[in-house]
Amino acid sequence: MAALDLRAELDSLLLQLLGDLEELEGKRAVLNARVEEGWLSLAKARYAMGTKSVGPLQYASHMEPQVCLQASEAQEGLQKFKVVRSGVHAPEDVGPREGALRRRKGPTKTPVPQSSDAPRDPLNWFGILVPHSLRQAQASFRDGLQLAADIASLQNRIDWGRSQLQGLQEKLKQLEPGAA
Amino acid sequence: MAGRGKLIAVIGDEDTVTGFLLGGIGELNKNRHPNFLVVEKDTTINEIEDTFRSLGSVSGSVAEANPSQHDPPLWDEIDSWQFLNRDDIGIILINQYIAEMVRHALDAHQQSIPAVLEIPSKEHPYDAAKDSILRRARGMFTAEDLR
Repeated sequence: MAALDLRAELDSLLLQLLGDLEELEGKRAVLNARVEEGWLSLAKARYAMGTKSVGPLQYASHMEPQVCLQASEAQEGLQKFKVVRSGVHAPEDVGPREGALRRRKGPTKTPVPQSSDAPRDPLNWFGILVPHSLRQAQASFRDGLQLAADIASLQNRIDWGRSQLQGLQEKLKQLEPGAA
Repeated sequence: MAGRGKLIAVIGDEDTVTGFLLGGIGELNKNRHPNFLVVEKDTTINEIEDTFRSLGSVSGSVAEANPSQHDPPLWDEIDSWQFLNRDDIGIILINQYIAEMVRHALDAHQQSIPAVLEIPSKEHPYDAAKDSILRRARGMFTAEDLR
């Protein structure tokens, strides 16, 4: 009976693994396509701006990451990644804050501009007015980062599933030494 | 840093690194070592391996052809620059043709964090047969297991 349960669990795990592998293949194809689009856009930007205008010479001396990862452990040993973008501000509320009458005379309080803690957009390394192709390249690579996090999560799940599968196969061999 | 999350590191050719830095993953300040490495044609395999495990170049983001011209960094400093040993890196993106050069180091890496992701390059399309993760997955099943 225990062997039957083990076999059912093995089958379920195997199906899940095959599904994960199929999903991984699909996401990989999309990531590769996005990265290729990004290279093409970078090449167009380089054509517009000059060969040496898009490269390591333009990297800032101080960089703050706009994109980070949140790693969470769904099960023991299984890590999942999620892309988090910094520098996203909530939209401001436009309109009168109070319902009372406003004073038309008197010193008006000017809102103190809040210093933004958002990291600087890497597009600014390459100039103030950058060609549209450079923005397209940025969009392609940003999509690629989201896909990279999904693929990394899938890879971890496949590795985790593989170790679980090996463990279950060992248990099955111990229960049914003759079947192997 | 604990509240900010983990970083994405990248080891690749100029276009790959520039593209992902445009995406916003780059980190570089006076106190921290960069989380990226631009591999040029003069970059040696040892330098790439050193970056993957322990960064050998003192000057920063672009691996130089002759790092021996600089004073060798202290081993403690090298340990603190290792992509694999940094606890603030979640994913390492690496061009597959570069990964092939340091395949032994990649295959030896078994931890789930940082996750290593092989990506194609302009001159070398992605080959699933060479990917470390997929090679391990392919070795999961034998004929006896499927009886």
